Amino acid sequence: MLDDRAVLRNVSFEVGPGLTLLRGPNGAGKTTVLRAIAGLVPLSRGTRTVSGPPLFIGHRSMLLRGLSARANLTFFASFRGTTAIDVGEALRRWGLSELADRPVERLSAGQRRRAALARLDVEQQPVVLLDEPFADLDRAGTILVRDSIVTAIVRGQAVVLVTHGREELDRDATQRLMIDAGEVRSV
Amino acid sequence: MNATRRALLVTARELFAERAQPDGLAAALTFTGMLVLLESLAFGPGRAREADVASGVFWIAVLFAAVLLSARSFDRDLEDDAIDAVIALPGGRDALYAGKVIALGAILLIVAAAAGLFSVFLLDLAIALPGHLLLVALAGVVALPPVIVITSVIALRVRARFAVVPILSFPMLVPQLVAATQGAASALTGDGPAALAWAGLLAAFTLVYAVLGLTIVPAAIE
Repeated sequence: MLDDRAVLRNVSFEVGPGLTLLRGPNGAGKTTVLRAIAGLVPLSRGTRTVSGPPLFIGHRSMLLRGLSARANLTFFASFRGTTAIDVGEALRRWGLSELADRPVERLSAGQRRRAALARLDVEQQPVVLLDEPFADLDRAGTILVRDSIVTAIVRGQAVVLVTHGREELDRDATQRLMIDAGEVRSV
Repeated sequence: MNATRRALLVTARELFAERAQPDGLAAALTFTGMLVLLESLAFGPGRAREADVASGVFWIAVLFAAVLLSARSFDRDLEDDAIDAVIALPGGRDALYAGKVIALGAILLIVAAAAGLFSVFLLDLAIALPGHLLLVALAGVVALPPVIVITSVIALRVRARFAVVPILSFPMLVPQLVAATQGAASALTGDGPAALAWAGLLAAFTLVYAVLGLTIVPAAIE
């Protein structure tokens, strides 16, 4: 339920290791499904069961302004207790070495998106939820996202990705779901 | 990682962000300073120096400053949905509440210290029991954030939250405001036992609302 309006109805699906693509028209409820799995949306009925705390990266950067990309990522890593992972290396991989200590509000939209997606390398959770991860990215950034998804699949992570197009991802997907008018079906 | 460490991580994140963008602190310091100055002009030098008037105006200024600081902190978190990233973390909701309470308390201590020193020098206040006054000031400052953060969380997705937070929190904070004002006035006039009693009451309110916040806030955050 959002604003007393039922956004999702009769939604039932399971996600295992591999890539699950979730597509649908604007306003169909794709983002709400991800937010529900992440525990950010209250369920009026039904249950959700997640094997571990998921990593949710929304269509906005979700980074705190005033802090640098490095400080934001270090916070997330420390919070999850994954401090062994090199934040600087993750930022370098995403092309942000020279911008790592600049406050995130002084980065471009694409650079902020890259910083947010660097969480994939820093947090490495068993369940990853990505909402339109290609938005704002240039060609090199798009390739980096695809490489990261493939790496996550190889690691055995479950990746749920919301997108409109990106048909080239179909060959990597283990499951393709379509959501329309609040209902989910497999395609 | 335990809950205390998670809360302290959120506190550190808040304090770093405030240091980088100290507009909330600047607004709070300006506001409290102006209120103390206006008090001295409005009441005149004799009346403004009276213990209950000086302490009452001081605590009203600190209360408004706390609401200002909290609003700025949540505004920052709502930009780019940064708050969702914390809520989605394991134990994130508790840590968000506790971390914001501690951070707000820490920043409010700076504001209260500045406003207090300004009051003492501007009004030429005579302090009979400085130690007791410090204790009451500390207890009073610590008593405000648990309530203000609870109401800020409840009003998080409300469009008119700038109006809703004071409307919800100020009635809940009347007992703390009375206790802090009476406690500070007692310390200024030399009534040590009364000052300690009011400080004890403030500590009890802090404990009650901190426990209440940790109980209801995780369920209240959307």
